[in-house]
Amino acid sequence: MKDNLPDKDGFFGEYGGKFVPETLMYALNELEQTYKTLKDNNDFNAEFHKDLAEFVGRPSPLYFAKRLTEHYSTASIWLKREDLNHTGAHKINNTVGQILLAKYMGKKRIIAETGAGQHGVATATVAARLGLDCHIYMGSEDVRRQSLNVYRMKLLGAEVHEVNSGSATLKDALNEALRDWVTNIEDTYYIIGSVTGPHPYPMIVRDFNAVVGYELIEQSQESFGRMPDSIIACVGGGSNAMGIFYPFIKMKDVELIGVEAAGKGIETGEHAAPLNDGTPGVLHGAKSYLMQDEDGQVRGTASISAGLDYPGVGPEHSWLKDMKRAKYVAVSDDEVMKAFHMVNQMEGILPALETAHAFAYLDELMPNMNQGQHVVINVSGRGDKDLNSVVEIEDIQL
Amino acid sequence: MKRIEKRLAELSKNNSKAFVGYIVAGDPDLETSLDLMHLSVDSGIDILEIGVPFTDPIAEGPTIQQAHDRSLENDTNLQKIIELVGRFRKKDNETPIILMGYINNFLTYKDLINSSHKVGVDGVLVVDIPGELSLKAYGIDNEDLDIISLISPTTSKDRIQEIISNSSGFIYYVTLRGVTGSSHLDEKEIEKNIDYIKSITTTPVMAGFGIKSKDDVQLLSSFSDGVVIGSSIVELIHKNSENKDFREVSDYISSMKDAIR
Repeated sequence: MKDNLPDKDGFFGEYGGKFVPETLMYALNELEQTYKTLKDNNDFNAEFHKDLAEFVGRPSPLYFAKRLTEHYSTASIWLKREDLNHTGAHKINNTVGQILLAKYMGKKRIIAETGAGQHGVATATVAARLGLDCHIYMGSEDVRRQSLNVYRMKLLGAEVHEVNSGSATLKDALNEALRDWVTNIEDTYYIIGSVTGPHPYPMIVRDFNAVVGYELIEQSQESFGRMPDSIIACVGGGSNAMGIFYPFIKMKDVELIGVEAAGKGIETGEHAAPLNDGTPGVLHGAKSYLMQDEDGQVRGTASISAGLDYPGVGPEHSWLKDMKRAKYVAVSDDEVMKAFHMVNQMEGILPALETAHAFAYLDELMPNMNQGQHVVINVSGRGDKDLNSVVEIEDIQL
Repeated sequence: MKRIEKRLAELSKNNSKAFVGYIVAGDPDLETSLDLMHLSVDSGIDILEIGVPFTDPIAEGPTIQQAHDRSLENDTNLQKIIELVGRFRKKDNETPIILMGYINNFLTYKDLINSSHKVGVDGVLVVDIPGELSLKAYGIDNEDLDIISLISPTTSKDRIQEIISNSSGFIYYVTLRGVTGSSHLDEKEIEKNIDYIKSITTTPVMAGFGIKSKDDVQLLSSFSDGVVIGSSIVELIHKNSENKDFREVSDYISSMKDAIR
């Protein structure tokens, strides 16, 4: 299996590419050239890894989930603790890397889209560190659901632009960020938050998040003397999954499982699971599986989790699906809430609702595993930001 | 001779420049779009650009985005738009028609696009595909359609060459960095870039994006082969959609046409 993708035009098989308005081509080509020059540059890499160690707090631990393991009593369950990163999720890995690219390119203005707000916070954080002007686009529905993160971004000095067009969620925030970029192309760097968007973003975001997978290779060896049997990660755009999967693509014996948001159930059509119930199409600059209708219009999505509430998915995931190298499943909002409580009560860990999707698949996976096997869950983020939503969903009086 | 080429040759013979006008099909509804197409031509538009609505039109400013949304509420799709062109052709077999939209809708209906010249479509303009990529690679392969490509202020010279070799009908020069309906035209830069494009191709070059006033039209048509106006027309259509009295649209188009001459 090829592991040197994307190809020179930015394709993973038939997926990916650069489907953007002409004005953006210059910026994408400039970014591609810069990244090509810097990615093997020793100074650049030293600076990136120093920031990951000292600012993010890497490596994140690989933690043995004793009670969860006992609960299922088959394979051992291990947690890759991205929730312990500075700002509370894997999103910071990518923003630390991309802000360095922005710095090397001499860009003075930073823009980003955000769904759950984690990427917005991570972007505002790195922009604050460098004293750069920062603008975050966020759907008004998400602003409501994730008000704590909105306030955090403001504390960090970012300007948060509420997006009311379309479904007022992540996809519309991305549209608006792209429109800003077209308008301010020369001085602005766009930090895309997932392995989505036009080439070279899916490659760059994957590479910066792949530190998670590379650490896991070493930690698996140290903790149980071999590679995991299965790795589970939630998939919205797919950056945490791509980061932990990527170094394992060549290791055929390691099962890779991406968990999408089935929302109210795949059969209801109200979900956010393009790999389970979508068809190839083009959105936000890349060809990939997409939730669309028979006219090629993008369908509305539904998920309890703002971070997964997106009708598209990173193109490399579409390729891994077609190549049958990774398996993509989906869990419903109800299953997610059950898992959310289970992880809190059995492990003392508050997972993000996005992350709880990965845990929710354990009910299906674990009965088919055996003792002596090892399952790793990417705990992509912590759930403090979701407490308001959970209280609302469960109709709790505080 | 193809309709676009023929129309541009006629204009050139009369020493005048082209007025390309954009409306969104299905805003406020398809019946009205048909009337508006005829009204636009009667008022002075030489080439019609018909916007195909998409849920996520990333190159459009708020005016055209909202027109897309209104049209989608009426369940407009490419099939119905091509039927609309067929109905327009019963009364007007001369005015060139270009479908302008986003790749995902065109791919969904690629078979219809591939036969759309038969009902009277003359060209397609896909906003979100790089001009150096051939639409053929994506299954849109119709020699009878002109493929209109965009060149922007940020397009590099080597790419301009490639884009030109993949284009026919005319080149659409994007006059600003931004989305449709923005402002801030940099006249000197526009003139310099259009001059450069015209120095390496005989394909006509139209200027569009951010053109609103008579002054814009007068100036830009002086060094291009014509101008494209979209947002201002779409806005006036919406303003008068309730009572469907489109005299204001007609007056606006006529005044812009006069400014071109």
